[in-house]
Amino acid sequence: MQDRIDIPQIIIIIFVLIMMITAWFANISITYFINDSLIRLVMNGVLVLSLIPMLNAGVGINYGLPIGVVAGLMGMCLAVNFNIKEGLGFILSFLFSIPIAVIFGYIYSMILNRVKGKEEITATFVGFSFIYLTSLFWSIAPFNNPSMLWPIGGEGMRPTIGLKPYFEKILNNLWVIEIQKIKIPLGMLFFYFGLCIFIKFFFKTKIGIASIAVGENETFAKLSGIDIPKIRTLAIILSTVIAALGICVYSQSYGFIELYDAPLMVAFSAASAILMGGGKEGKTKVTHAVIGTYLFQTIYILSAPIANELLLPEVAEIFRNIITNGVILYAILYKNQKNSSSI
Amino acid sequence: MKKKFLGLIVFLLFFSFTNANAESFKIGVVTPPLSASEDEFRGGQKVSKKYPDMIKHITLPANFSEEQETAISQILSLGSEKDMKAIIICAGYSGILPAIQKIKEKRPDILVITAPIWDDPDMMAKYIDLCFDTDWLKRGETIPTKAHKMGAKTFIHYSFPTHMAKELLSKRRDMMKKTSEALGMKFVDISTPDPQAGSGRGPMLQFLQEDIPREISKYGKDTSIFGTNCPMQDVIIAKALELGFIVPEQCCPTPTQGFPAAMGLEIKPEDAGDFNKINKMIENKAKIAKVSGRLSTWPVPVGVFFPEFSVEVAKGIIDGKIDKKDIHQISETAKKIAGVEVYFNKMKPNLDNYYLIIMDSIYY
Repeated sequence: MQDRIDIPQIIIIIFVLIMMITAWFANISITYFINDSLIRLVMNGVLVLSLIPMLNAGVGINYGLPIGVVAGLMGMCLAVNFNIKEGLGFILSFLFSIPIAVIFGYIYSMILNRVKGKEEITATFVGFSFIYLTSLFWSIAPFNNPSMLWPIGGEGMRPTIGLKPYFEKILNNLWVIEIQKIKIPLGMLFFYFGLCIFIKFFFKTKIGIASIAVGENETFAKLSGIDIPKIRTLAIILSTVIAALGICVYSQSYGFIELYDAPLMVAFSAASAILMGGGKEGKTKVTHAVIGTYLFQTIYILSAPIANELLLPEVAEIFRNIITNGVILYAILYKNQKNSSSI
Repeated sequence: MKKKFLGLIVFLLFFSFTNANAESFKIGVVTPPLSASEDEFRGGQKVSKKYPDMIKHITLPANFSEEQETAISQILSLGSEKDMKAIIICAGYSGILPAIQKIKEKRPDILVITAPIWDDPDMMAKYIDLCFDTDWLKRGETIPTKAHKMGAKTFIHYSFPTHMAKELLSKRRDMMKKTSEALGMKFVDISTPDPQAGSGRGPMLQFLQEDIPREISKYGKDTSIFGTNCPMQDVIIAKALELGFIVPEQCCPTPTQGFPAAMGLEIKPEDAGDFNKINKMIENKAKIAKVSGRLSTWPVPVGVFFPEFSVEVAKGIIDGKIDKKDIHQISETAKKIAGVEVYFNKMKPNLDNYYLIIMDSIYY
């Protein structure tokens, strides 16, 4: 029952299929499309995966994703600041960002545990205000690697920091095999699916099962003696840590660390992706995140070239927005409908 | 040792001489604060370091549109200082003209130079002694011409619907198309996902990363790429280093946009703001990436150039060395500050104190 494909997924799949057929007729190279879609799946996929622990523990969609993202950015900046390059730099950015994310996640969970029932809207504003707070931090942070400082003022961080001399595409280029022009980034996919398996197994552990119980029915969970605040805190910290790793993966693939207000809207595309994949509170599976990310990113990859080929750029933009936002709306309506029918 | 000592004396003498001269009057420089615009703010700081006793640098409120009254009273306070002889305003805002009108009523002797403000041009020309701005529209002609000179056979213009809804930008695009076609270049107009449509700039930048290699494999290396949005420049320049196509200019022409991030320039705090050194670094990096001659921009950002240039012009006029009606003398001063030729065009044929500038380029 839970794995049934719902109406939104059907609509999206039909839309993607129509786009693929159009792309075929518009002579858009299929190899480019496949190569890009695999990279995009992992590049954005880890951020989408990070929503699962919170969703399943009943805390709602993590619109405060920027908090984890900032922790990851700080970790990467530390690695770059100490001039640590290549794979070691990338691994160290992970190691630096995890403790920061744990601290941030803990503080974040204290806020969210106080506003039960209104987590999503609170998280949105916590995320927004946190971005501006960190903007202040970036402009006075005592980093001293000259490739990170403002080029005119000589102090504070640049808005974008190039990763080329450090660890640009280190994961993208790990174990790439090429079959007839189609490049399969095995290293990247191993990392991604490894993380997927980790999350899947987490929900098989005692804490994982407890958190699903909290997400599905809090009263029942409480009666069975589960420490609800503790479970929620753990879920929030886990989400924040995965988000921190997610931005590291994203940045190495993009080739730049983006600071200041760049991560402001990051939560919304991740949320769209997971809802598009069929994620629901307390019942989100890893497959939902994977399918959602793939569909959402595929729409992006295909829509712009098709629009340019058909000379309808504005129309394509409008269509994509209607469909992607419409699906989210449907997902939210559907969730509420279910809740009301179950009462 | 003796030589050093002598040098010191000469320096001190010279310094005290210029100091004594400078103390006789003051020049007020008005810029936005650092958070609103780095270039103008640093430009103001740079010139106040050059003439520490002469310049009074004040900054406008960060959200100018909401605190216009504060801004006006700040500018008026400059006019009430007795030894203030000139006011330079470098803040691309509209709504500053009333403050200037009031100053001119009270103190007609104060010289006012704007570089730029954006009020009604005819009214500005009436009250302000000299108005300067960048010739944004003319760049629709200069950029493709430059690209053609650099060897481009195709000109790609990346933009998106909300930008193309702005009159200036779409007019410039049309002008680029006209110029490209007149020069025999193929003009390709590509629309990216809109960064203002809700999901931020991520999708736009990801699209650029995927699309540029596609276009280059289609049109070849002799393609010139221009993007209308600031964050695009990092990706465009990084891809140019990889694929070797032509970047004639960024949307805001300056060595400090796109190049530092794309090339990972290591600019030490003591070299920050030193454009000669920054330009040298870019040249070296271009050589290493084997793209020499494929990248170009203006050697100094206009935001940094305008405050210093305007102060020099004001100083020249006050000292009686520059005639404010003589554009040759003014463009000589501009050349000294920018290090390259600066072209001045009249904003309107009937206005003789409102000029738009285009700077000569530096090729890396």
